[in-house]
Amino acid sequence: MSATEADVSGLLEEAVKSGLSRIAEASDLASLGQARAAVLGRKAALARARSALGGFDAEQRRELGRRANEARARLEGALEERERAFRAVEEKKRWEQERLDVTLPGDEPDLGGLHPLTKTIWEIVDIFVGLGYRVADGPEVELASYNFDALNFDSQHPSRSEQETYYIDDEREVLLRTHTSPVQMRVMEASKPPVYVVCPGRTYRRDVLDPTHLNSFAQIEGLAVDEGITMSDLKGTLQAFARELFGRDLDIRLRPHFFPFTEPSAEMDVLCFVCRGSGCRVCRQEGWIEILGCGMVNVPLLEWAGYDTERYTGFAFGLGAERVAALAHGVPDIRYFYENDLRFLSAFEGGMA
Amino acid sequence: MRASLRWLSELVDIDVSVDKLVELLNFSGTKVEAVHSIGAEVSGVVVAEVAAVTAHPNADNLSLVEVTGADGSHRVVCGATNFAVGDRVPFAAVGARLPGMSIGRRKIRGEPSEGMLCSAAELQISDDHLGILILPPEAELGTDVVSLLGLDDNILELEITPNRPDCMGMVGLAREISALLGHELKWPAQPEPRAASLTPAVTVEITDPQGCPRYVARYLEEVSIGPSPLWLASRLVAHGMRPISNIVDVTNYVMLETGQPLHAFDADTIVERRIVVRRAGEGETVVTLDGVERTLERPDLVIADPSGAIAIAGIMGGAATEVSETTGAVILESACFERASVSRTGRRLFLRTEASVRFERGSDPQMAPVAAARAAALIAKLAGGRVADEPVDAQPQPLEPRRATLRPARTDHLLGIEVAPEAQEKHLRSLGFEVSSSGSELEVTIPSWRQDVASEVDLIEEVGRLEGFDRLPATLPAGVRGGLEPEQSVLRELARALSSCGLHEAWTPTFMGAGALDALGVSKEDPVRDAVQLVNPMNEDERRLRTTLLPGLLGSCARNLAHGAPGAALFELARVYRPGADVLPDEPATLAAVFCGRRSAATWRKGEVVWDFYATKGVLDAALKFLRLGPLAYVAAGGMPFHPTRVASVSVGSEGIGIVGELHPEVCKRFEVAEQSLAFELDLTPMLASLPDRPKVAELPRFPPIYMDLAFVVDSSVPQATLRRAIADSGRPEVTSVELFDLYEGEQVMQGKKSLAYALELRSRDRTLTDEEAAAVRARIVSTVAERTGGELRS
Repeated sequence: MSATEADVSGLLEEAVKSGLSRIAEASDLASLGQARAAVLGRKAALARARSALGGFDAEQRRELGRRANEARARLEGALEERERAFRAVEEKKRWEQERLDVTLPGDEPDLGGLHPLTKTIWEIVDIFVGLGYRVADGPEVELASYNFDALNFDSQHPSRSEQETYYIDDEREVLLRTHTSPVQMRVMEASKPPVYVVCPGRTYRRDVLDPTHLNSFAQIEGLAVDEGITMSDLKGTLQAFARELFGRDLDIRLRPHFFPFTEPSAEMDVLCFVCRGSGCRVCRQEGWIEILGCGMVNVPLLEWAGYDTERYTGFAFGLGAERVAALAHGVPDIRYFYENDLRFLSAFEGGMA
Repeated sequence: MRASLRWLSELVDIDVSVDKLVELLNFSGTKVEAVHSIGAEVSGVVVAEVAAVTAHPNADNLSLVEVTGADGSHRVVCGATNFAVGDRVPFAAVGARLPGMSIGRRKIRGEPSEGMLCSAAELQISDDHLGILILPPEAELGTDVVSLLGLDDNILELEITPNRPDCMGMVGLAREISALLGHELKWPAQPEPRAASLTPAVTVEITDPQGCPRYVARYLEEVSIGPSPLWLASRLVAHGMRPISNIVDVTNYVMLETGQPLHAFDADTIVERRIVVRRAGEGETVVTLDGVERTLERPDLVIADPSGAIAIAGIMGGAATEVSETTGAVILESACFERASVSRTGRRLFLRTEASVRFERGSDPQMAPVAAARAAALIAKLAGGRVADEPVDAQPQPLEPRRATLRPARTDHLLGIEVAPEAQEKHLRSLGFEVSSSGSELEVTIPSWRQDVASEVDLIEEVGRLEGFDRLPATLPAGVRGGLEPEQSVLRELARALSSCGLHEAWTPTFMGAGALDALGVSKEDPVRDAVQLVNPMNEDERRLRTTLLPGLLGSCARNLAHGAPGAALFELARVYRPGADVLPDEPATLAAVFCGRRSAATWRKGEVVWDFYATKGVLDAALKFLRLGPLAYVAAGGMPFHPTRVASVSVGSEGIGIVGELHPEVCKRFEVAEQSLAFELDLTPMLASLPDRPKVAELPRFPPIYMDLAFVVDSSVPQATLRRAIADSGRPEVTSVELFDLYEGEQVMQGKKSLAYALELRSRDRTLTDEEAAAVRARIVSTVAERTGGELRS
């Protein structure tokens, strides 16, 4: 006696009922796997119901097949839902086990740093590179003829004395350069206009060391010689430079001064970047800060270089890197720059100026 | 340079505020460093007379002084003793104010004091605080001392640039101000000297016209030496000079006024009244006014009489011919001396005087007779006496007026603004230049006091500074193609690379003492001993220019360790100096670094790491690899300052460029750095001369590699590099990478042997290598290693 439709229906209902309860009993992924085999396996009630379908006619078979598929879908759905729940619990457990204290320090590579004078010099040089300058270099042990004579220093200028300048020979022909200006002369000697150069480097004067004096210090010289260069070009160039270095909206001013190698000569002040003119400790209550000496290249220098002085004019300027760096970083004593105390140097770690 | 605003106002109308005047001066080239308002903080100080002085009952060093003023008498307790009954003194009554104090009734050691007697320092007219300021007897009782002494004044402290000797006197400054304000210069009134048709009987001979282009002498007799009147004395004091006597004070006063230094000789001490201006004889001596015997040298310029030198020209007079209380006749000197000579002699003798600072800048030859006449007249007025009518004026070569041509268009061309020719002319005239137009040019006669002006550009500067640099617009010139040279870029990258490796960049001194080289322990023959030397160092530690960067870096490391730093790693990129074939030494770009103590602190993940040889070497390799310089080759080396068996010479290609190693323990001790400190030092010149090309990339390999580990046992003495090279050489072309991953010495290998294990990568560009091919390579390597090093494959 073959199974009736009612038998199969009962089997399917039983399969779903017992299947669901079996699935509900599972307590983890492993027991859920066993439950899956039990409810969907070959010996399960569902399989048995399916195997009974062969005895029915086509229409009944279709109807019962559909119900069998429904039953399977319900069971599979329940399995899937349980599995998701179990996986969520397991994952959560894993994440907890793998939890890190993210506030522990990271493995930091040891960070060194560039010297503040280096950073200052690069920054200044880069400003002028942006304005169309090359970078030139000259010897620190220099001939008096470049350091003084060519620069229009008269023969008894006090700077030439052995009290002020370090000499290498008794004839006072070879010396430690007292400024970067001789590089101007070497550049002009070696090239024709247009000349646009900045010349950073170490310079030396016989000074007793104190908080504002060093016997060795770094200067940055600038020189532009071209057709039609004017003192207004000097002013514009220095203004562009000062604004890059000290602040976008700061003004500069030129005060007439005297240097043998420039005519007219001037000193450049920048509006105090701290108080903006009202007077403070940084600008010594003056509202302006003296930054550098400058002027139009004096005619004898251009003649010395063999330039056509009617056709070519130029300007030059020179500034002290220590002074600018000290201003920019509030360094109280410029001897700090040559003591290399790591407590000082570490303030300049990293890439920023 | 100090300048009284009161005094300047006598020479030019100043109708602007002090602030405005300061601004005008600042922006025309005479920088005002400070303005001292004197007298402003003093009030209630009046003239009083000392009536009685008695001892203080309770203090030996104090006295009780009875003073009489216009309002009666007062008793004060006083510590000074430089006055006598009858002297007139400044008396600060109760209620008076002095800088930093106000005067009240007080008891001093039990005695009441109703005010105070003032020193010159308390009145801020000089630093003299030792005694009470004695006022002249004619000072009226009760007169306000501030107005009596002309203390209500502003003193400008000016920076006079070396090209402007004319501004070292009130007249020159007043001329600047007159040009700035557009007012006339008022030349000081010339007091009429008492007419005297005296024959001076003074002769002046100039044997060196270059050293002394002009010498004016004035003769006076029957003068009475005495103190100067108060107006004169206080003016000198306000300008930082000490009143001495009427004669000397007048010479100083006229110098302050005209900028022309003067000197007064006691005429009766000058042999034959014959003045000779000449160069000194070698070893000639003169005792100067300060009582010091000065030994002179050949080029020093002196004033002499037939008996010898009586003064050092332009610097200081001699004691023997000094004006004294007994002087009756005076020879006034008003001369011009060569700048260079005064400056050279002054420097050699370490003597700088008010006169020499002026002569060093240059003096105006036309001012010499004017100043002499002015001083003679003032002396006649203040000290009595008769002035010889005629000056003795020795001037071997009369001065020609100097001229220059100015093209007004050239001014515009240089300044970048338009200045009308008429305005240019006006500016020049206002400064005392004579100007005449000829066509489009200005013919300019330069006044004698402007020795700094000679050419067109000098005139342009005068026009520019009076026009004002604030008129200049801010324009930019064309520029060229800006940028760094490749070697400049490489040096920057090198510094960045080293700082990324944990090093701090240092700047250490260029100078080096012999002691530093001794401390490095280098031999007498070591090339670093061959240093460029200074002839005039300030001390022996800066005698030499460094030939090595190591002492400076070691010094900086030691300083850090002394401050408690647990370690230091510093590098420096700088020049060293080596005497070469040329006049100028070589200055090769050099890189050095010193490593001491702790590299990194212990963390929760790893222990403390200290610097050692391989860490140091790794930094060097990494930094140069960063620049694609290298690879570096290392060969065991020796010699101070390094540990004898922990040092390598470094080369690139075939060129030796430097050295790296652990420092000798003795060197570490001497420099006071941690034992086992390390260093390297490289000459960068060869690397900078052959910078690497841009990197080129071939097609990436398509066939998989074979990896193979090989360990060899070799004698402990075999350098790793030798073994590695044997593997790399014999592995070619299949072996593309050889990396050491283990070094073992110990029980597992025989005594005196070591085992080195390498990871090899083998690959071919055109096929997958077979196991047979790999085995063949391995056999090749094993046999070459055996052949070159005696090493055996470790089983």
